[in-house]
Formats: sequence, C-alpha cells, structure tokens
Amino acid sequence: MHLPTQLSALLLVALPSVVRAVFQDEVGHIDYHYELLGLPQRETTFFHKPRRDDKASLLYTLSDVGVLGAVNPSSGAILWRQLLNGTITDGGGFLRAGEGQNWLASAYGQSVHAWDAVNGRNKFWMDFAGEVKDLEIMEMTENNRKDILALFDENESTVLRRLSGNDGRVVWEFKETSGDVPLQVSTNVEKVFVISLRGSAGAYNIKVTVLDALSGKREDELVIGTKADVHDKDDVILVGANSAAPIIAWTDDVRQKLRVSVLGQKTRQEFPLPADTVSVEIHAPHLVQPQPHFLVHSKTSTGHTAEVYHVDLRTNVITKAYQLPFTSGPGAFSTSSNGANVYFTRITDKELVIFSSASDTVLGRWPLKTSETRLVAIHGVSEVVKKAGTDSYAVRSAAVTDTDEWILIRNGDVAWSRPEGLTGAVAATFVEIPESENLAKTLEQEAHSNPLEAYIHRVKRHLEDLQYLPAYLNNIPARLMSSVLGTEVSTHDGKLARDSFGFNKLVVLATRRGMIYVLDAGNHGKILASKRVFDLPKGQKWAAAGIKADDSTGIVTILGTNNDETIVKILPGTSFNMEVFSKGPEGSPATQSAALLNTVSGPRLFPVGLDGELQGLTSDVLPNQVAVVRGSDRELKGIAIADGKQTVSWTFLLPKSQRIVDVATRPSHDAVASIGRVLGDRTVKYKYLNPNTLVVAAVDESTKVPSLVIYLLDTVSGQILASSKYEGVDPKKHIECAMAENWFTCTYFGQYRLRDGAQSLKGYQIVVSDLYETDKPNDRGVLGDAENFSSLGPIDAPGDVPLPSVVSQTFILSAPISALEVTQTRQGITSRQVLAYLPETHGIAGIPRMVLEPRRPVGRDPTAAEAEEGLIKYHPAIEIDPKSVHTHQRDVIGVQKIIAAPAVVESTSLVFAYGIDVFGSRVAPSFLFDILGKGFNKVTLIGTVLAITAGVMVLSPMVRKKQINALWGAPM
Amino acid sequence: MQLLTTTLAFLASATTALAALAPQTSITITLPSTPPGDTSGKLFVFPPSTHGTLSTFGQTKSAPLSVANTLVFRNVTQGSYLLDIHCPTHAFAPLRVDVAPILDGVEGDGHGEAKLEVKAWETYRGNDWDNKGEEAPRQTLRGGGNGGVVFGAKVLGEKGYFMERSKFSVLSILRNPMILLGLVSMVIFLGMPKLVENMDPEMRAEWEENQKKNPMNALMGGGGAPAASNFDMAAFLAGTSAKKEESSGDAAASTGGGAQQGGKKKRG
Repeated sequence: MHLPTQLSALLLVALPSVVRAVFQDEVGHIDYHYELLGLPQRETTFFHKPRRDDKASLLYTLSDVGVLGAVNPSSGAILWRQLLNGTITDGGGFLRAGEGQNWLASAYGQSVHAWDAVNGRNKFWMDFAGEVKDLEIMEMTENNRKDILALFDENESTVLRRLSGNDGRVVWEFKETSGDVPLQVSTNVEKVFVISLRGSAGAYNIKVTVLDALSGKREDELVIGTKADVHDKDDVILVGANSAAPIIAWTDDVRQKLRVSVLGQKTRQEFPLPADTVSVEIHAPHLVQPQPHFLVHSKTSTGHTAEVYHVDLRTNVITKAYQLPFTSGPGAFSTSSNGANVYFTRITDKELVIFSSASDTVLGRWPLKTSETRLVAIHGVSEVVKKAGTDSYAVRSAAVTDTDEWILIRNGDVAWSRPEGLTGAVAATFVEIPESENLAKTLEQEAHSNPLEAYIHRVKRHLEDLQYLPAYLNNIPARLMSSVLGTEVSTHDGKLARDSFGFNKLVVLATRRGMIYVLDAGNHGKILASKRVFDLPKGQKWAAAGIKADDSTGIVTILGTNNDETIVKILPGTSFNMEVFSKGPEGSPATQSAALLNTVSGPRLFPVGLDGELQGLTSDVLPNQVAVVRGSDRELKGIAIADGKQTVSWTFLLPKSQRIVDVATRPSHDAVASIGRVLGDRTVKYKYLNPNTLVVAAVDESTKVPSLVIYLLDTVSGQILASSKYEGVDPKKHIECAMAENWFTCTYFGQYRLRDGAQSLKGYQIVVSDLYETDKPNDRGVLGDAENFSSLGPIDAPGDVPLPSVVSQTFILSAPISALEVTQTRQGITSRQVLAYLPETHGIAGIPRMVLEPRRPVGRDPTAAEAEEGLIKYHPAIEIDPKSVHTHQRDVIGVQKIIAAPAVVESTSLVFAYGIDVFGSRVAPSFLFDILGKGFNKVTLIGTVLAITAGVMVLSPMVRKKQINALWGAPM
Repeated sequence: MQLLTTTLAFLASATTALAALAPQTSITITLPSTPPGDTSGKLFVFPPSTHGTLSTFGQTKSAPLSVANTLVFRNVTQGSYLLDIHCPTHAFAPLRVDVAPILDGVEGDGHGEAKLEVKAWETYRGNDWDNKGEEAPRQTLRGGGNGGVVFGAKVLGEKGYFMERSKFSVLSILRNPMILLGLVSMVIFLGMPKLVENMDPEMRAEWEENQKKNPMNALMGGGGAPAASNFDMAAFLAGTSAKKEESSGDAAASTGGGAQQGGKKKRG
C-alpha cells in the first residue's frame, strides 16, 4: 500500500471542518498564559551582556524546575526559554557565562550544553557517561577562546574535561580514581583546581588537585589542614573561580568558625562567625579584573550581618576590612563589579543599600517602595552602574522573595515582578465563586411559610431591592457601549460574582513549594491571592494526594501525602479573602492517594494509607460505597464501607509479569445527554453507561516483545468487563488512558507487525474503545428495560453476565501526547474532545471525538446512512492539526495535568493546565452555538439597520409620489 | 548509490565509557535557513524551541536546533528510527532513519572499530513502516564538523493556528445576487422616467408606440403603461395579440379612468 503524501496533506485540509480553531482576536480574551521560568537558583542566575560592544545586559537563569531562560531586565519579558531535561526537575544544574561572550554554558545530569545568549539556540550539546558535578568557564586560555571545564563523577572516579567553547570538543581530560568525592572545579589565570573531599562522611579533608591549564597534567596535590574538619559537603560554602585569587571557604557544622584558604596554598585561616549564626553565604566576584574582595553574609534567627574581607595578592593573606551593622529581619546580598571596583548590594525588608568593597561608606540608599506590606528577599543578583560624570550610582537587583516571586528592584522601586511560584504545581481545581448565602436562605424561608406571608415578604424584598435600581440604571449606558464596541468593562468593580455564562470561576492551585494560589479564570487568570501554607524543610516537596472543591461553600480541601490536610476557604464579599487552615506535613509519606466518599454532609476526601487502608473513617460515611485503592505494583483492591468500617471486598491481582502503569476513571461530572446513539437507519445502539467502571493499563515485560494490557473493571464487583492486549508497546515511553461516558482511550508508542504479517508499524498511537450494551441496535441485552442493576448479581447467574460490547479502533498520531483529559459540558450534549498536551511542540491539542470514532468505516467510503450519522472514512493517521491546538502559537511548557470543568452555557468547557506554565482557556468543541462570540459584529448590525431605515425614509416618499402620479397620470 | 560510513573517530565523546559499549554514530539534520515562502527576511526563522526527536522502541533521542540551523544527534546506536522535527511555526516531513552495521565490513569486530551505515527515507504516517519513500539525499556541511552523516529536512509548510474571521465589507454585500437584482431594478425604476423625459419628442413618441406594442415592456416600464393591467397572458402566449391591439388599448383606457375616479373619491 503506497499512500501518496498528498493524501495526508488532503487530510490536513479536510480536518478543519470538524475542529474549531481559535480566532486571532480571541487570543488573550478567552485564554490566558503565564510564561514562567521557575524560581531562579542562587548560583545559576546572573546579569550578562550578550553582545560584547553593547551596554545592555540580560538576566539569565537556570531555575529550580530546569528551565534555562533569558529575561529582559527592563520589562521582565521572556526572550527565550529552554526546558533542559524535557520535564520538571528538582533543582540542580549549572549555568555560567564567559565575560564578553555571546554564549552561555549549562549542564544538567549527564550533559553539557552551550547556548547562544541572544537567540537561545543551541551551540552544542554533549552527553557523557558521568554526572556533572561542577561547571566553570576558563576566562583566559592560550588561544583567546573561552573554554568550559566540566567536572564529572563517573563510577567512583573523578573526571575533569576541558571542552572547547566553540564546538564542545574535548581538549583534554583528567581522570583520577581515588574514591574521593568530587566537589567543584576552579581556575585562576594559569592553573585549574579540582576540589574534592577525602575521607569518610563526617570527617572530610579538602583535597585540591592542581592541574596545568594547557595540558591538563597534574602538577600538585594539596590537602588543606591536617584535621578532618569538614563535616558534610554542604559545609563547603564557596569555591571561587576565575578571580585573581580564588578562595575556598567552609565552616564547621555548628557554624561558629569560618575557614578560608586561597586556592593553591596549603594554609588556611580561621575567622569567628557572629554568635547564633544559622547559615553563611559568601559573595565574591567571578572575574579576573575586580579586586579579590569577598563578603561573608551570616544569618541568625533574628537578623543578619556581613563582613568584608580582602585577599592580599602577594602574600595570600586574608584580612577583614570592615563589618556591616547587624540588622534585624531578613536580608540578601549580591555582588556586582565594574572594572576593578567591587560593589555589594544589600536588600533588607526596608531599604536597598550599596557599598563599595573598599570601605563601608554607603554609596547609595533607597527605601523600598512596594505595594505589598513586606518584601522579604531570599537571594538576588545586582547590577551597579556609576552614573557618568557624577558621584551617584544606579542599581537594579533581581531578587527572589519569600512569596516565590521574582522581582526587579530599580533604585528602590519594584519595576516588575514575575509569579514564578506558579511553577511546580501539584494540584489544581476549579471552584465556583461562593454566592452570598442570604438569597438562598430567604428563598428557603419563603417556601416554608404560608402563602400570604411569603407574598408580603417577597413584595418587601423587592421593594428593598429597588435601592439598587439607580446604580443599575447608571450602569446601562456603559454596559451598552462596552457591548457594542466589544471592550471589556468590569461590571463588578473588583467584586467577585458569578456570571450568567458560568465563565467566572476560580482556580485553586497548590505548588510543591507549599504555596496556594487563587486565580480568577473569568478575568484572564489574574492571581487574586497567594499564601504560603507551610514552610517546607529544604529538599522536601509538597505532594497532593487529592484535591476537592465544594462549589456551594467555596471550600477546597487538599490532602497531602505526608498526613497533611489543607482547607482553603474562599469568602464571598467585596474584597477577596482566603482563609487557610492547615495541618502541616508530619514525618514520612504516609498517604498514597485520597478517596472521595459520600457522607451525610456531602462528599468528603479521606486519605488512603500506604497499605491501602482508608484512614480517619467516621460513622457519618454513607454505607454501600466502594473505594478502589492501589495495593502493590500489580494490585488493586476494592474496599467496601459500612458503618464506618472497611472490608476488602475484592482484590484484582495481575499476573506476576505485569505491572500497572495507569488507572483512569470517569470524571466526577460526566453528564450523558442520550443513553443511546441513533444510527443512520433510525435504529439505536444503547450505550453501556456503568458509573462504576475504571480502566487499568498494565504492561507485560515478560515476553520478548513487551505488550500493553488494558482492563475494564467493574469497581463494585472487581470483575473484568473487557480486556485487550496490544503487543509491541514500548513500556519506557508514556502510556496514559482517559475515560468518559461510554468510551475510553489510551495512548502509547507501538512498534509491531500486523497480524496478517504483511505490514509493520512504528509510531505513537491512540486506541479508542466504545462500550455498548449489545452488538445489535435496538437491543438492550439481558437487562432489557430493567430498572435496577447489580454489579454483584451476575456472579449468581453465570451466563447472564451483562458484559458490554466493545468496538475499538487504533490510530497513529503525528506526535506523542500526554496529560489526557476529556472536555466536560453541563448537559453533555456538546460533542467531546480529548484534550492532550503535546510535550514536543509545547501545546494543548483537542482531538475531536468525531475523529476518534471506532465505528468509522474501514477501507470504504461511508454509506449514506453512515454519512448521515457523521462517520467519516477511517484513515490510520491522525495528524495533529495546528487548528486544533488550543494554545495556538503560545509556547506552553511542562504541562503535567489538564483539568476541565463545565460552564453554565452548554457549548463551553473551561480548561486549565498546570505544571511549569499555567494556561487556561475556554473550549467549544461544537462551536459556540448558544452565545454570541466576538465575531458577532454589533456595529455592523446597527449600521445595517440604520442604513435600511435611511433607505426606506428616502425611498418611501419617492414611491408614494410615483404611485400617485401613476394613478393620476392621463392614459395614453 | 553512494554509501557514507562514519567512524567513531569523529566523536568528541569517543573517549568516554559510553563509546566502548556499542558502535555509535552521529546524524546531523540540516534545516533550510529560509523555508519556502518565507519573506520575513529574518536570519533565524525557526524559534529556539525547535528540536528533533529520533524515536524507536525503548529510546528517544532529542536534539535542539543549533546556531547553524542543524539538529545533531550524537551517540546513535544501531536501529531503525522515526525522525520527527517539532517546530511551533513550521511543519516538517517525518523521516525514517536506519542505522545498520556494514555487513561486509572487515573491521566490524564490535570493539570500537565497527562501521555503521546511515540511510534515511521519507516515511508516511499510518502506512507500512517498510513503505519507504524516496531516499533522502546526503549532504555535506561546509567546514566539516563532527556531526556525522548529514541529511536535509523538508519543510511542508507554515502552521496556521488561527481561523480567519469573515470580515464585514461593503463589497461582499454588493456581491450578493439579491442585492444586485435590487440595485438594477432600482436603477430602472429611478432612471427610466428621467431618460424618457430627456428624449426628443419624436423619439419619445416612437418609443411610447413601441411600449404599447410590447406588453412585456409595459411590465418593466412601471406605471407608464396602463396596458399592463389588462394584459391578456393567454392571448399573448397564443400569439394572437397583434390583431387585438386596438381594442385592448381601449379597454386599458377605461380601466385607467375608473382608477382616477377612485383616486378622486379618496381625496374628497
């Protein structure tokens, strides 16, 4: 079978008829996007001039989620981004820039890469065997080229490679198998230093291996100090590089003494730290030209202070120059250099001060002017410029705050702030704006009193409502104008209220850093509030086991995996308010997931322990419920609940060779408009609509060719309703399933030979299965018109099992997809789309159900009846049409999950995606059939009516005159 | 057919432990610096997020777009790969890339000496994997480089994400046949009497004579021809109207008179 390319091109053209693309003028109106980097890390953030002769510098960072990006410091706009690892990372990585170079060097995991600083394109990308431990730029080389030094830990041996800055070629390599822990690499003008830790945990010595920069040959090996005085590798605070006299500094584990040594020297000097120091940071310039001065920033629990030290280049003696006053409260320091001058910038919660490294005179002082009550900078980078011809200075500092924001302070003013804390989101949900409960209450009251009283009460209430009439009337002209001109007018003056279309919903978003955000989906995703729920210890992440929103009360419950529970209460009213009650995380992870159970007071989340046991069950849990929990890698358990007690009612155990990769259930809101599908000949195929079903995807790696097995389970009885096996599925690539209504879909990478042996396939695939009550139309199977149905029943009467009839079809996709979600609308009348993230092209595509239709006729054109039903001829490939991409030309990176919620209008489903970037939009899979879109031109409409009126006004006297003339005219 | 083999000697990472495991090669894909139809004149047309993936069972390799408009895949081992180029602005044709050891190579002893042969073809999604298209021509890069075998990528076209909103324009309204009909009849309705008035008397008389003769014209001409109301369609179609010309004219006159009376009554 040879299919010409024109056919796929034709398909591209044909598809737009079934998909609804975004109109250009809807961009930014129906959708919103936070283009984010993640929180900048202290060591991998800096100002750098991408062009040697240009004065302008850009802000570069490699963030804690693994995004490398360039930001324009004057506007805060992103110029380019690269997601280094392809997914969200847990911090780490290295980023350096050579002075005056138009490229950046970065490293993550096992690879070292270089990027063009202006346009973000790759210069080279080299993969190695070991893990990168440090990265440094050699500022001075023999051939005027700046090279990269990369330190690797390769199976217990330390490997240092010098890579050419032009193409990443290895210039020389130094390998040492000593069992020491490689720590960092440093260089001064002529030597390269490899710093490693010798000894055992708790008692390390610092070993410095001196190498010749030209050849990479070992020249010397020094062990600093005789006592094993390094407790942990985190105690080594700084290994300076590229400075005229690079230093190494470390502390004892109780933070009482600071030990500093100039690299290449055997001696070390000791300085006392202020009492009660909790942590120490050192700030020093990373260039050859500036004076070798450095600043030691000591933080205590109540405040912070700093000391400035100078290194004598001839004697290598370190002396303390001056001490800055102790200030209570938090603070951050940063370094900036200009020629030989070194400046230190101090940001406290009240002001921004700059000093010279030579003396403690204040060069500039600006009080912080922020809208927020208190600005707490955690760390930052600065750029100090001396104004020409004057003694005054200008400074701009980019700082990370304790509320996970990245702000730029220009001479004391906050120039911009980026909500980088939205990255690393772990859970999100839509929640309705809580209505004021008064109206509901009065209505209820009226219903219960006698008719006359109720009537009087009602009249009174309406009379009272009259007081709002003038304001309403006042508003009419503005609303009319905005409606005609298409401009947006906030009718609620900051007040949150539901709208008649149901677009004004809130999104509650929880991030792994322990922050909660509330976004207004109806107002371009504006951040209404943010709050830190708890301070997590370093290295710990907040993970959510479950999230649930109660639309009537505006309460969102988040269950964490560490036995923690957070309740976000959104209060109605004029100003937005969020209350957070949290039981902070305790101990080690103890929760695998959360089960949603109905209680007397409505559905509530209950944590599921690691052993698969429901915790905290109360007696108000309604009986006859089954919760499905994960056991081991290949086990699912159904837990029946009665009277606050739980019993395992069934166990689904996969064969030893299989393991579960994904489980999908029907969404909690899954409205079904019709119980059957009307075929072209007016017969009906009845849908198999069992609410207690779930899909389990398992991979079997026992055979030579791994396979994917998909099971459809009844959650009440644990019975397998249907199963199918797909051979040649890659278990290392993403496998995911989604389920809705009477169908489910799974995506995977397949490579196999067809059963007939004639053809083989390779590519990303999607399989979709429809479930019907029977194979035949107009037949409801064994259950017939029975009103009741029991999942447990079939076991008693074998042979009468109402198993669904399954129709499946597989398609090849043009790109891998992940984060599957099905659109949801209020009544389920609108056709559905499978929303999926495209991890390679960074977009969210909506694949229409019409395309993913297992009943599409194969190998022939649809008959008239089938065409009437809307079936199109089967074509094995689904090209992801750009017109079906809801994110259009936006670059949305790192989406982990997509959530959908119905609006009040049937046509529209609200969509929200989170992960690294945050994106939200409105999707209308069957076009906007119930509201007027932006395309409805009211100006034209009014213009046309006016033109016709004018025409009638002009023509009617003429016609009348003519008629009269005709009647009076003499016959000829 | 020219065969090009690549050896490990090129590779920067040849000295690493990775290289010792299995024979590897590098593959470079060049992207056109200006895609067909591009008139923006920009130096770098493709955005920096453009990248390529080589996928096969069990592994996926990714390569970002380089400054030189290339995608460089390093340490590629033996296998049959699907090459996709992902770009937010342009669509690229997928390629099938086969990396296979040379069977008749005497040096192929598997110890860093083996030679790999790289071939690429066009592939069609949803078709047999062995249904290969034209073999992609190999290219040579200026300045050599360590990128191994070089192939060119084919741009299918620019991606259009947006739907066009039908714009309001007066022309589109005027193009409507109903409107055109209306306009023509309006011109006749307004313009005809003026035309008739401006005729010299002889012409006018002649024209009016013609009008009377041709009942269809009377229909078109509006109120000027009272004959219309008395037009005998059956007679006209039967072709007998010519003889009855005179009498029909009289009848028309009498009905016209009746109408005048009616008008008078109304006024009074």
